[in-house]
Amino acid sequence: MSAPLVEARGVTKNFGNITALDGVDLTLREGEILGLLGDNGSGKSTMVKILVGIHEPNAGEVRIRGEQVDISGPKDARDHGIATVYQDLALVDELSVAENIFLGRMPRKSVAGVVSVIDYDRMREEAERILRERLNIRLDPTTRVEFLSGGERQAVAIARALVTDPDIVIMDEPTSALSADSTARVRDLIRSLRAEGITILIISHDLNEVFELADRITVLDNGNLVGSVDIDEVVEDDVVKMMMSGSMPQETAAESA
Amino acid sequence: MIGASLFPTVGDSEERANQLILWLLDNIIWPIVLLAFVIFSVLLPGVFSSAQNIQFLLFSSAALGMLVLAESLCLLSGNFDLSIGSIAGFSAMFTALFLHEWFPGMPGEVGILVILLVGATIGLGNGVAIGYFGINPFLQTLAFFIIFRGAITILSSLSVAPLPGAYTFLGGSTIATIPGLGDLGPLSNVPVAILVLLALYAIAWYVLNYTRFGLAVYAVGGDATSAKEAGIPTERVIVAVFVISGALSALSGLLFTGYLRAATPTLARGDLFPAFAAAVIGGISLFGGRGDVKNAFGGLMLISMIQIGLVQLGVDAEQIQFVNGIVLLGAIYLYAIESRLRARVLSE
Repeated sequence: MSAPLVEARGVTKNFGNITALDGVDLTLREGEILGLLGDNGSGKSTMVKILVGIHEPNAGEVRIRGEQVDISGPKDARDHGIATVYQDLALVDELSVAENIFLGRMPRKSVAGVVSVIDYDRMREEAERILRERLNIRLDPTTRVEFLSGGERQAVAIARALVTDPDIVIMDEPTSALSADSTARVRDLIRSLRAEGITILIISHDLNEVFELADRITVLDNGNLVGSVDIDEVVEDDVVKMMMSGSMPQETAAESA
Repeated sequence: MIGASLFPTVGDSEERANQLILWLLDNIIWPIVLLAFVIFSVLLPGVFSSAQNIQFLLFSSAALGMLVLAESLCLLSGNFDLSIGSIAGFSAMFTALFLHEWFPGMPGEVGILVILLVGATIGLGNGVAIGYFGINPFLQTLAFFIIFRGAITILSSLSVAPLPGAYTFLGGSTIATIPGLGDLGPLSNVPVAILVLLALYAIAWYVLNYTRFGLAVYAVGGDATSAKEAGIPTERVIVAVFVISGALSALSGLLFTGYLRAATPTLARGDLFPAFAAAVIGGISLFGGRGDVKNAFGGLMLISMIQIGLVQLGVDAEQIQFVNGIVLLGAIYLYAIESRLRARVLSE
């Protein structure tokens, strides 16, 4: 059996005296959508920030396709095929759609063989193409992001994640601040990414969303791993109990008996 | 497949109209500059709008212009620099002593390298403290403002002159003195400092709009967390901004030295606030990420026109400060109204 796409083992992260993650394991299989659930303070965001190199774990390791990797920043994460759509979307309102999509990796061209400048034409064409072909959205790439609706902003953030042709897209609360219409649309976008073969990790408080999209669910509680379940083996109540009790459904049932 | 109808296409006529309104608000400084020019031209007929006076206006703005550029860059990155005037004064005095007393006979070109190096090094200190150690930019640059202003008088309480011609060339010579340029007619009398002023603003505008570094400055100033999450090395960008700010401040010191033909202990003293005012009047946001250096140039022109126009009208220097303060206050209120209009347009 081949190794999982991403495997975090025994990950521990302390902030001063507070243990945000305590020896947590997380497995992400190729091509799946995994829902990462847990209450506030459960360690979901910390785990994501470790996977994308914003935090460094105090203990534990991360493996990608079986190989141990050292992810020490967003660039390292990108190099390992991991892209992230943050909850706050990490967009800069003052910049255009195209500039946001290519933020940190804008294509350049040489002027007179001396000066290296941003290749705006290529950047706008590419931004427009990604939005149109992969997300089926038409947006003027020169529009400042401050003019966009919530759903459009989410689309720009997803387009940015797609620029590097990632194998894995991590989405932190992808629909938390959206209208019902935009939420439906973003969920369609997520399904279309999976259809392209991209593996997706979704962090969400919304159980309906996770049950609608995910193949498996991993639950964290107070910095500890509660467990992982296939979506077709549980109902929403089971997952709520996992989150509330910090134990697996069968354990909860056994305790009740 | 996903339908595109749920997200209405941006780019329709209403959005275009809104963007036009915001563009006009962003560039509001230029009608104000034009109005000020017309008013002073009416009050000083035949004097204020003469080619000679416009040339003098640009010449006397050149050194302050470098400080405005330095402050604008810091503001765009979401920081600010209170030490620019002190850096200009200290680097000018240090280099004057280097050329005049410590290493007499040293070519002026070496002096230019030294002054830029001194300014950039002080800027590096600011940048590392703010970018890597998280020191509040107000406190860090206030400390350097005081330290280097004091250090000038430790170095010398007297003006230092004469200085090599090559050193004062940029600040105090005319185009006619550029070797091998030949006779350019009336243009021969244009000060080199004006070329430096225009060239530096053009370069700054180009770098900020067409290079990765420039866009990174806007991104860090607009939302540093987002910029970091997008993979921009925010700490390095902040360090680079302060190093450039320090070098521009030193260039200001060099231009002042050429203009005055000496390095004086009071050089650039009191120029921090006009520089800050010009940047803000030119629409550079105090909150970072928004603004355009070409409009900061407009702010520089407005401040300089008021200064020169009032002097030519015989107004006392202290009263000019009063007027500068009123103009700054007016600009702050104007941009407060502008930001409300912006919010209203964006919410429509």
